[in-house]
Amino acid sequence: MTRVGWRRVLQWLLVILLAWWLLGFVARWWSGRGPVQQAQASAQQRALGRYLLDAADCAACHTAEGGAPFAGGVPLRSPFGTIYGTNITPDPDHGIGRYTDDDFFHALTRGEARDGHQLYPAMPYVSYKSMTRADSDALYAYLMNQVAVKKANPSNDVRFPANIRAGMHGWNLLFADAAVTPVSRGNSPAWQRGRYLVETLGHCGECHSPRGALGQVDRDRPLAGNSELGRFAAPDITPQGLAARGWDGASLREYLATGSSAIAVASDEMLKVVNLSTSRLNAGDLDAMTIYLLGDAPPAPVTPASVEASADAGSHRHYFDLCAGCHGRDGGGVPNVAVSLRANTSVRDPSPHNLIVAVLDGLPEHDFPGLARMQDMPGFAADLDDTQVAALVTWLRQEFGGQSALVEAASVRELRR
Amino acid sequence: MTMLKLQINGKEYGPIDVPEDMMLVDVLHEYLGLTGTRFGCGQGECGACTVIVDDARGPREVRSCITGAHYFSGKPLRTVEGHARRDAAGAVSALSPVQQAFLDHFSFQCGYCTPGFVNAATVLLERLAKAPMRKEELEATILEALNPHLCRCTGYVRYYQAVKQLVLSTPGLVKP
Repeated sequence: MTRVGWRRVLQWLLVILLAWWLLGFVARWWSGRGPVQQAQASAQQRALGRYLLDAADCAACHTAEGGAPFAGGVPLRSPFGTIYGTNITPDPDHGIGRYTDDDFFHALTRGEARDGHQLYPAMPYVSYKSMTRADSDALYAYLMNQVAVKKANPSNDVRFPANIRAGMHGWNLLFADAAVTPVSRGNSPAWQRGRYLVETLGHCGECHSPRGALGQVDRDRPLAGNSELGRFAAPDITPQGLAARGWDGASLREYLATGSSAIAVASDEMLKVVNLSTSRLNAGDLDAMTIYLLGDAPPAPVTPASVEASADAGSHRHYFDLCAGCHGRDGGGVPNVAVSLRANTSVRDPSPHNLIVAVLDGLPEHDFPGLARMQDMPGFAADLDDTQVAALVTWLRQEFGGQSALVEAASVRELRR
Repeated sequence: MTMLKLQINGKEYGPIDVPEDMMLVDVLHEYLGLTGTRFGCGQGECGACTVIVDDARGPREVRSCITGAHYFSGKPLRTVEGHARRDAAGAVSALSPVQQAFLDHFSFQCGYCTPGFVNAATVLLERLAKAPMRKEELEATILEALNPHLCRCTGYVRYYQAVKQLVLSTPGLVKP
């Protein structure tokens, strides 16, 4: 191409860029000035909206600790930077006060705000894309009839190039429309409802599904676990994964409703999910969620295999020195004090990730729905070196979890802060 | 059964035959007659059973009700019986500064939590002697040291006041 040709291309590019920027500016200015909306809604619709708000766990990201309800400000750390949940109260300037029900549905399901800017997929619009219009309208009706909070949204701390929001158009083109493969087999009405609760409203896959290099959910391995998001790993919750760790419908339902069952206690992010969302579901929806997660024909829960101990004798001593005081000589635990380690889901997990983190960091006090509590557990990072933690974790898994594989000291080193 | 030797308050004990899953507080009470250490919650939460370990990371507090006795093999430790000065006959001749300060300030009523508080304050003072703090950190540092200890008669304020005055009146604990 000639020099004049290049120049012409550049000139046109510049003009297009300028026009794009101007258009965006005008669009934002215009939409920022739109009329403040008043949503008329029956008490029944608002009550449904409140219920759906819990089922979709909106508060987890939109209500800051100690902050006004739904006024935003919760930091969400991602590999691309920190993104803050926004103000979704009906405030016209900082919240959704100028959103119509159409705008709201579009933002929820397509990830585009009213002023045309692209939301980050930290807002789970990829999961919400299958939300029904009626449910979106009920959510809108509830939110628009709450107290408006004049609280500005903190600016996100996202690194280049992910901080160019227009780039989300490309990301959406590639990933947003991907169909969700059901995690289990089924066809009953309860299974259908459960699918909607798990995949759409509950957006469980956002944490429990593995993700690709660009942060997209791996649709081929739904709910197969993800260890890269937080300090603790989100375990495999496919029917096979759950059954292999001893879960059946009854224990899963009890866990979702109360935060604990004989084989597990919800911790960290999942404890928040239980407190803010699953514990508030009605009996029918809890059943449906359980039925979908395990399938219409649930696999039989596996009892832990008896494993030949191969960990060295020292690890056995660490257990009596540091663990048995609360968890008991036989690992049976004490109600409301220390979990039973026998057949515990984290001890049985093929990956020792969460068990290692618990031994190193300990756990904070747990406040469950209602009045149930569990005291904190001290961490042993200073007491035990990598080899000792590895030996202890190996022994725990062999003794109580039916997992024979030796845990390497290197796995502990990687997880040590 | 496993043989165990312990070094407590500068004195050697054992070897004695101690079950491998027995907690230290039970060994202190049942085998060694050191009954000053209190058994409170039995879950490591209240701090009444606190002993001091003087190992490489010490001096530090350890909850003796949830820590197996064999953990302390090779780790010198101190209990509440070890702080006061004693005469040749073994009678107490002078209390430790922490103990005296708690008496002077009427810090406790029933006294069940006191051994834990004495050990916590003793560890705090010894750590400050090694690494003095700035004056403005005083209150937060004392709170951090005493907070994990529970007192059901709520002597907290007087425990706090006793430790604060002791820290301020002991030379070398606060940076000038």
